[in-house]
Amino acid sequence: MGATDPRAQLPYDDSLDGRRHRERDGLAGRLASLAVLIALVLAISTVEPSFLSVYSLRVLAEESSVILLLATGQTIVVLMGGIDLSTAALTSLVSVIIALLLPQYGVAAVAGALGVAVLIGALQGAVHASAQVPSFMVTLAGFGLWSGIALAIANTTVPVVERYEAVGWLAAQDSVVPHAFVFALGVLIVFQIALARLRFGRYLHAIGLSERVALLSGVRVSRVKTLAFAASGLCAGLAGVAMVARTSSGSPTIADSLLLPSIAAVLIGGTAITGGHGSLARTLLGVGIIAVMRVGVAVAGFPPAYEPIVYGIVVVIAVAVTVDRRVSGSVK
Amino acid sequence: MTIHALRIGGLSKRFGDTYALRQLTLDVRPCEVVGLVGENGAGKSTLLKVIAGVLAPDAGTIILRGTALRRRKHRGAADAGIGMMWQEPALVPGISVAENIFLGREGPAVRFGVYRWRNLNARAARLLIELGVTKSPAALTESLTFSEQQLIAFAKAIAVEGRAGEAPIVLLDEPTSALDERGVTAVLRTIDELRSRASIVFASHRLEEVLRVCDRIYVLKDGECVAECDARRCTVEALQALMLGETVGREFDRVAAPSTAAPTVCLEVRQLQRRDQYVDIDFALHHGEVLGIAGAADSGCAELCRTLFGIDGADGGTMMLDGRAVVLRTPSDAVAQGIGYVPAERASEGIVGSMSVMANMTLAHLGQLCGRFGIDSRRERGVAQRWIERLRIKTPAATTPACELSGGNQQKVVLAKWLAGKRIRVLILDHPFRGLDDHTRRDIVTSLRELTAGGMAVVLIADTLDQLLATSDSVIVMRHGRISARYSMAEDRPAPQAILEMMS
Repeated sequence: MGATDPRAQLPYDDSLDGRRHRERDGLAGRLASLAVLIALVLAISTVEPSFLSVYSLRVLAEESSVILLLATGQTIVVLMGGIDLSTAALTSLVSVIIALLLPQYGVAAVAGALGVAVLIGALQGAVHASAQVPSFMVTLAGFGLWSGIALAIANTTVPVVERYEAVGWLAAQDSVVPHAFVFALGVLIVFQIALARLRFGRYLHAIGLSERVALLSGVRVSRVKTLAFAASGLCAGLAGVAMVARTSSGSPTIADSLLLPSIAAVLIGGTAITGGHGSLARTLLGVGIIAVMRVGVAVAGFPPAYEPIVYGIVVVIAVAVTVDRRVSGSVK
Repeated sequence: MTIHALRIGGLSKRFGDTYALRQLTLDVRPCEVVGLVGENGAGKSTLLKVIAGVLAPDAGTIILRGTALRRRKHRGAADAGIGMMWQEPALVPGISVAENIFLGREGPAVRFGVYRWRNLNARAARLLIELGVTKSPAALTESLTFSEQQLIAFAKAIAVEGRAGEAPIVLLDEPTSALDERGVTAVLRTIDELRSRASIVFASHRLEEVLRVCDRIYVLKDGECVAECDARRCTVEALQALMLGETVGREFDRVAAPSTAAPTVCLEVRQLQRRDQYVDIDFALHHGEVLGIAGAADSGCAELCRTLFGIDGADGGTMMLDGRAVVLRTPSDAVAQGIGYVPAERASEGIVGSMSVMANMTLAHLGQLCGRFGIDSRRERGVAQRWIERLRIKTPAATTPACELSGGNQQKVVLAKWLAGKRIRVLILDHPFRGLDDHTRRDIVTSLRELTAGGMAVVLIADTLDQLLATSDSVIVMRHGRISARYSMAEDRPAPQAILEMMS
């Protein structure tokens, strides 16, 4: 919204669009994502039957747990009509902080790093809301800032040996389903319940659909925005913890390659980039599709360097399918 | 036999389970002004949208100057010489008035992709003079007031003239609903002048205007054409009877509702001012009172209402609510104080179209519906159901997206959003009856009166003086940002003419 006058919107017929949204939000839309997922799984397992083995599924779940955490936070922001480009950089920063402080402070270092992540997220949200800077701009600046700070405090990878057990339980190899995945799924479920039950969730949708109406209904828009970005910061922080657990190290570039797939997962799940339409359940499906696609790239014989090409294409297609065309100036 | 400018046969359009148009048949002759009247949701807007090519019909034929039209894009309609003015002005804010008027159909004003400004501005200036708009064609569109923008939208609709070579067809959807008297006169005069070279379809709730300017009138009811009358041999009462299928007298507007005002003051405003908009505003709003504010579009009354709701802050002055000074920095402050606001622009400020009727109703007071585990959905459903029944909102279900309702029913949802709150003390209504039929308006006024009897106070800006006088307990008149007169209905009920004089 902001600079665009709502009066300038084309007089599309509301009733028609309303119906289209309902269909897209409904069973049919969710089934479409599910169908894509199933088709991908079938295709890959035909070429590579070992794909469906417990071992390979376990690796898949383990690898997608960090993306799942990032995508969970991203969904909350996207539902509100914004985008958070800083998540992966924040994850890297958190991994560095934890790696540096863990030997000295143990669990307190983890808690502190998460606190920093939440504060950074809240700060970005507050700047976006109060200075009326589009969220992609604020978080793009944040992307530069946080990765720069991470590089400044740790030039290179910091290995974690001492007191690794404070985060190590996330990477323990003692169960069929990886702990990190269960943890990420738990975070998603907690947020899903919160969005469904708390006022915050309703306000999030209202702002995503029409910020002006939300504002004129007495919704404290700035507060909701700050909270949403804080939630995204928290998720990025948790992703950082999972990263340290998996690699027993922190690195200023550890999560760089995860920004695009985590956004792609949100969008391919069917959450509209323009806000208001979508859910965390869809993001779970989206993460599944992205994870299987990664395997698909490998099975098809391409080197991993080709992955970003796939994500890039997927993002554009997903946005083209789900975009709410009545809203001018898509991302706030 | 002459070829009809437009013939429509057996047209149907369905949204979900409800027919917006059902087997509709009508025709428009060349150089004829055809009126379209009917209650909210009767199908007027849908019909115009189908003709303009914005909506595709489910069945039926549209024959334009003897050629059947196929499913097509909106631009095609403009190329075929169909101009349309929407209920809400659809203009681009950041470009000049002249650019807006000729947007997409610049004709000789563009050569080899380059604007010829002199040509463009000269043509626009001619239209503006005709409509009595004093702004320059080079003025930025967003610098115009709402009613000026509405006139620009009208100019844009009639600018299709001269494009198609044939006599154009101009579709007008409530062209006068947002205009003051001067604007209305200009629009009606222009329609009269266009009569000799264009066919016009004029949809409006203002039956006097329809009767004055139209040759023939179609009456729509529930998407069907229930009557066709000769405007010269028809009256407002007869049209109303046809629209409603029963007789509802005009006396509704002539008889004031019994006052519910109490002697205690609810909201007191002292020396309120905002630069360039209003100054020296003093008034006391009592519990249960309906305070009407009369004023032309540039009088500052709409801006005053926005300040009372905390949207645009005041530069000076104080507001006291029940004896306590309040400072409203944001609308949420106002809501926390029990103030509600029904904005004039429903689509962009009042309703979240894709959200359900229920979610729209509870958006402003979700906190009151929260239990230990968040939103209590059973209570929420209960509130929605209660207000759907109480305001007689026509909706398939509480979970239906609000945008699927007709304009009048959407307006009731906006109203319910505030009335459903437990602590609503002051309700500010900015043109709450815009585009509503008498029936809906009476429903709304009746419900408002029930609540003012309980102590709620109302600030009202109405569309017409008749409506204002019928609904208010006291009236203040604003002119150029200042209060120019005050009336109390109980003591000296003013004549509409007296108020008009104080407005200009």
